[in-house]
Amino acid sequence: MDRLQALTLAGRAVAFLYVDDALVLIDAGGQLEAYGLAALRLGAPAVEQAVFLEGFLPLIETPYLLPSVEIARGRAADLHFWRDEGGVWVVLLEVTSERDAARRMQQKAYDMTLLQEREAMLNRRLEAANAALLAAQRELEASRDALLRAHTALEAQSAELARWNKTLEERVAAQVSEIERINRLKRFLAPSLAELIVSTGDESILQSHRRDIAALFCDVRGFTAFAENAEPEEVVELLRDYHAALVPLIQSFEGTLDRFVGDGMMVIFNDPLPCLNPAERAVRLAVAMRDAVAALAVLWRKRGHQIGFGIGIAQGFATMGQIGFEGRFDYSAIGTVVNTAARLSDVASDRQILVTSRVATAVGDFVELTEIGMLAIKGLSRPLAVSNVVALKSELLPQ
Amino acid sequence: MTATVQKKICMLGGFSVGKTSLVKRYVQSIFSETYLTTVGVKIDKKTVTMGDRTVHLILWDLAGEDDMASLRMSYLRGSAGYMLVADGTRRATLDMALSLHQRVEAECGPLPYTLLVNKHDLSEQWTVSNGDLEELRRGGWSVRPSSARTGEGVEDAFTDLAARVAP
Repeated sequence: MDRLQALTLAGRAVAFLYVDDALVLIDAGGQLEAYGLAALRLGAPAVEQAVFLEGFLPLIETPYLLPSVEIARGRAADLHFWRDEGGVWVVLLEVTSERDAARRMQQKAYDMTLLQEREAMLNRRLEAANAALLAAQRELEASRDALLRAHTALEAQSAELARWNKTLEERVAAQVSEIERINRLKRFLAPSLAELIVSTGDESILQSHRRDIAALFCDVRGFTAFAENAEPEEVVELLRDYHAALVPLIQSFEGTLDRFVGDGMMVIFNDPLPCLNPAERAVRLAVAMRDAVAALAVLWRKRGHQIGFGIGIAQGFATMGQIGFEGRFDYSAIGTVVNTAARLSDVASDRQILVTSRVATAVGDFVELTEIGMLAIKGLSRPLAVSNVVALKSELLPQ
Repeated sequence: MTATVQKKICMLGGFSVGKTSLVKRYVQSIFSETYLTTVGVKIDKKTVTMGDRTVHLILWDLAGEDDMASLRMSYLRGSAGYMLVADGTRRATLDMALSLHQRVEAECGPLPYTLLVNKHDLSEQWTVSNGDLEELRRGGWSVRPSSARTGEGVEDAFTDLAARVAP
């Protein structure tokens, strides 16, 4: 008790409880009110009055210490338990000031720890944000690279497209040019030959040159009278039928149609493309033309029109080439051979194919000829020996 | 006449997880933003009525566990059950609660307990995931999110534990 008194004098609240084996409070004393225990009743159950005893009684080991227990009013006490013959002593020895001192120290330590934890957490978040930022940056760079690649590819494609366009334009221009050339050449060449010239790209044959050619002139006998008496529509119809029948023949014999003049035509062989036997081709064409016009003449006669057909053929050198000026060129022949053929055509009667002696010699083997004799031809100083092609010697025709 | 029983329940967990605040919310229905660490143990009493019985819950709010101050098992003597508390914003406190559970079971044997993962009002800062809690529940744990600040889950947790310690 002296010890308790000394502690009380030191400013510490000290109290005690004494509990018997039946857990009945049999004694209590000291500064019980400091711990909210002023209303303790002796002789009553101890644990119900001092709830901090819950679970500790009966005492298992002695002595027993529960340090720094705050029971009430902010006061903390060390609880000392020990037993003697009569029961269990519980002494409450105030340690509030020690508890508060320890709390202050611990508080600082915990605050520091919490601060460090918070700092660590913020650092982790910062690192995560940095990592996300870096990832986003890498993604952005990848996107930018991809965009640059796409841009470069697009530029390359655009350049390629521009090249294609240029090539296409050049091709179109070339094709247009070819078509124009073909159209120009078709005016005086068989279409197949015109296209051949265009495909080879060699137009040198159109330049002025001399060539041994066979020239064929033909026209309709009685056309002038027919044109005077017939309706214009009938004249046009007759010419359409006439041309439709003869032009394909000229093309099939690969003759060069030099010109149309009304019912007259001029056809050249061996130029601009060479052929082995121009006179023969000219004569064979002439025979075919005569037969074709004969078939048409039957129809025309039924309509009351007396129409005939005459042809003249000559062979010799002529000057060949384009004649005219830019935008209006013709390919034509100039020379005596042309005049001769024209004059023979003029003097030929219906169904006559008048040829010069040179032509007659060239085709004599497969053509039946009749000599007409010497004819004075306008424009020529000497008369010409002229023959008429009667028919082809079919049995002698080359296969 | 109603029967009266008295049960000791200990609050266990790392420091600053909110054990004192949970007890204050449960006993006094108040919350303080000021953090005041507990040294030793602080004892409170809450009386609840369960059917025809009155149950006095003697709540022992133990100092938080940390590297410097480890749990004094002497405080747990005579405990009928315990409340493990973790801070959802600090993943390490959940690990500490699990560790305390193992030590208490080794020392006191199996007792009713509930794990409160506190500070659910700061759920956006939680580092404990719902998947963690689900995994614990699948392992047989009684786990509840709670908030001493808002009172979320507090009353229910204590009532449930009271029913288990005083069946």
